Amino acid sequence: MRNRKRVGWHKYINGVTIATLVTAIFVLLPLYWLVASSFKSPNDVGNSPPQLFPNPISGANYSNAFVGYDFGIYFRNSIIVTLCTTALVLVLGTLAGYALGRLPMRGKFTTLVVLLIISVFPAVAVLAPLYLLMREIGWLNSYQGLILPYTAFNLPFAIWILRNYMLGIPKEMEETGRIDGASPLRTVWTIILPQALPGVFTAGIFCFTACWTEFLMALTFNDANNYRTIPVGIAEFGGNFQVPYGTIFAASVVAVVPIGILVFIFRKFVISGLTSGAVKG
Amino acid sequence: MTAISSASGQSAAGQARPVVPPVPRPDINRRRLARLGWTFSAPALVVIAAVTIFPIVYSVIMSFNNVSVTGSGFSLDGFTFSNYNLLLNSSLWRDALFFTVYYTLVTVIVELVLGTCIALVLERLVAGRGWMMALLLIPWSMITVINAELWAYIYNGTYGVADYILGGLGFHPVILGTPGPAIIGLMIADIWKTTPFVAIIVLAGLVMLPGDVYEAAEMDGASGWYTFWRITLPLLRPTIALAVMFRVLQAFGLFDLPYVMTGGGPGTSTQSLAILAYNALFKNLAFGPGAAVATTTALLVLLGCLASLRVFRVQVGQEGS
Repeated sequence: MRNRKRVGWHKYINGVTIATLVTAIFVLLPLYWLVASSFKSPNDVGNSPPQLFPNPISGANYSNAFVGYDFGIYFRNSIIVTLCTTALVLVLGTLAGYALGRLPMRGKFTTLVVLLIISVFPAVAVLAPLYLLMREIGWLNSYQGLILPYTAFNLPFAIWILRNYMLGIPKEMEETGRIDGASPLRTVWTIILPQALPGVFTAGIFCFTACWTEFLMALTFNDANNYRTIPVGIAEFGGNFQVPYGTIFAASVVAVVPIGILVFIFRKFVISGLTSGAVKG
Repeated sequence: MTAISSASGQSAAGQARPVVPPVPRPDINRRRLARLGWTFSAPALVVIAAVTIFPIVYSVIMSFNNVSVTGSGFSLDGFTFSNYNLLLNSSLWRDALFFTVYYTLVTVIVELVLGTCIALVLERLVAGRGWMMALLLIPWSMITVINAELWAYIYNGTYGVADYILGGLGFHPVILGTPGPAIIGLMIADIWKTTPFVAIIVLAGLVMLPGDVYEAAEMDGASGWYTFWRITLPLLRPTIALAVMFRVLQAFGLFDLPYVMTGGGPGTSTQSLAILAYNALFKNLAFGPGAAVATTTALLVLLGCLASLRVFRVQVGQEGS
């Protein structure tokens, strides 16, 4: 009953396909508008009534983002901060996830609950002390000034995801390592890690996305032009009077494409992460 | 059997295989493994504590002090309740709290209803479900700042499409310049970004539901509606509860979207708790009151966490650890 047999044209045109189409349009229309506007000439972006299609198609906004504005710098900064954070989170998260998943530690349960609570804590709660601390040690407007807090905020979720995957690995696997006399670190690296690889991908793509999109801490700690990440850069494009939407959208398209490709490639892991319970929005 | 299994207290199962020699001194082994566990977790836990737990505690201390911040440093000048007094007597804080709660309530409910509908549709979709899932992930991975800029452009009073369409229908609201429409505008942008996320979670829950229950319902001649309300929805409750809890808790940190799209305006009509805290801290350099706003927000989230600890416990307890 749930999948009724449909015949004739009902096979293609029915409530389900129409509703799917409506959903797709609901998702796609704003995206289309973003991309289309980025290819309009800078003057046409401000046309009223708005142009439905860019005519003529222009790359001026794109060159403007990189030449007129410093989008290249922001992009580089985002890449550095995101990659360093993701690497750190995966290394520290794998070790902690292994320990909390498979080793007999007392207080493991409490630790896990505290981690879960931390993972939903609003960043604004730590902003003031962290800002003052970083000012004291001269970390404002530096890469480590973002990498460290990003690592801390993304670790709880990564540990959770990795722990869940580690739980499912058969015990015999690590016993072979122990019998061979391998060091614990080596056991994790050569035996556990390959088994938990889906978890590593999931944790990695979530961490990457979170760093790529984070705004509040980046705005607070790294507001100097040379250290801005993409979200801060895009938010602060232009002066006080005119918002250069064409440039903003061109930069946006360039910013969204890498994350879009990554998410598409790793979509299986993203969905498994979203549905694994410890959910982040 | 071997080290691990005896260590985790399952040595009784070893009786089945008497050939394996007993492991000497399992207590010491267990203690060694526990020490290894803490060694392995220490780096991660230290980083997390340094950047989250310590600052949260310090934020509480600041909120009870007269904090003076100068160009070169800062000092805490004595214990005081004045920051909280200021907060509780200020309409700004009350308005921000009201806006945050109201915004959260509306967006979460709409996203839940729409997301469930989309999930129910996609579950029946025969071909192309994978593509739809991939499509739904785009808004999820969207940078919120870009989402805010895009919708601000759509709502723009001179050249925005929404303004143009509404104008054609005979309405002329200044969307982002009037409190009511501005709030609705923010909500629509939020709903666009987050509904797909809810749909994916609910769909995953739907797919995992046991099929035999439905067969039984069908044999009993239950209608589609009856099946949905009496079988599907109750079975989905744990999935939905978890999603709602995370959404609600996160919404208390609401910052990016209103900060970029409306700047908290017009006036202070879209000023969330996080924007209020940010402005107090970094625009007015009022670190005491700012810390008080941040602390109360954190306290609200903590209360929310404690209230839903049962859901958390189910999470931790799953797979029987």
